[in-house]
Amino acid sequence: MSIINYASREIQFKIVYYGPALCGKTTNLSYIHQRINPLNRGDLVSLATATERTLFFDFLPLNAVVIKGFVTKFQLYTVPGQVIYNATRQLVLRSVDGIVFVADSQWEKMEENVESWKNLTDNLALQNMAIDDVPCVLEYNKRDLPNVAPVNYIEYVLNNRKKRLQSFEVISSTGQNVFAALNAVSQILLHKFSKQSEAPQGAPLPVAIPVEPGTAEAQRLPA
Amino acid sequence: MNAIPVLTIEDVATLDGVLGDFLKKTEASLTVVIDRGGNVISQCGDMDVMDVTVIAALAAGSFAATRELARRIGEVEFNALYHQGNGNHMFMNSVDDETIMITVFGSRTTVGLVRFYSTATAQNVANVLKLLRRTSHGLKFDAKDITASPVFADHS
Repeated sequence: MSIINYASREIQFKIVYYGPALCGKTTNLSYIHQRINPLNRGDLVSLATATERTLFFDFLPLNAVVIKGFVTKFQLYTVPGQVIYNATRQLVLRSVDGIVFVADSQWEKMEENVESWKNLTDNLALQNMAIDDVPCVLEYNKRDLPNVAPVNYIEYVLNNRKKRLQSFEVISSTGQNVFAALNAVSQILLHKFSKQSEAPQGAPLPVAIPVEPGTAEAQRLPA
Repeated sequence: MNAIPVLTIEDVATLDGVLGDFLKKTEASLTVVIDRGGNVISQCGDMDVMDVTVIAALAAGSFAATRELARRIGEVEFNALYHQGNGNHMFMNSVDDETIMITVFGSRTTVGLVRFYSTATAQNVANVLKLLRRTSHGLKFDAKDITASPVFADHS
């Protein structure tokens, strides 16, 4: 959980892209980095091995004005998908506000998807969190490949619960539904945040002041 | 449901005072207080030197990564880390269980001086944050304050 800085009018949220190895988490971030307005993003930082496998994490900071009067900073992280890097995944999940779970749609990857999902729920439990407490959406990635499982089957495997998560058919290499999934998790976490915020007890209620037109912050607004 | 901690203008002024005093004494370039998830809580000094958001994410990762090294020699974690460059250096020290303080400095000062003053500064920062977490101001947002349009646009 991040802290709201009332003086600089900033709120920070952390969104983590989680999923099995080679499912396309880094490709999601690369696409977002390429296509988002450069005024609204920072550098994409990738800590990868020589063979471009994520070693530690990828990190992409984004800015938006989505809450009246506040600059909202979204920090996008990926985790290393390889099984041996679980300690790193636990670190990256720390203080997470939203999760995009990226599943590989290929038949032969279903077991890895399920293992990664279980690993996610286990790692959240270590932080005393449950998947139902964290805004989360599912991406069924690589829908352009020939050997993909039907969406109904993946839904049955990964999303078979009373309150189903929002899911997207994604081709991260071309960007299909990459922004749709990011926007969906952002909206879910913002609405959870609005429910979670409480009026102060005994202190005067801070008033959110809209950003003045013509200021540097207003210029960072998306067109 | 827990209230989300809010840094009020007064809290930020107090932290700025503590960090400003630290920078003045040590002649360091920049100091940043972050949580262990990589979020920036407060910052003071020359912000043009680097992207503080990225520094925070990487520093949190670096601090956590060395925790495993510390365990191998029977420590819970290292309380402080020092990265030495050719001209610029970085010193990181633990503030409390949730918070880390990062200091970037150049040739105008020494690691000894930064290390010496960082202990008292970290204690002062910890006291401010402890009070903040205990009082837990809330900030009220209505759903209508949140934009209904997509947050991020694909500039095709």
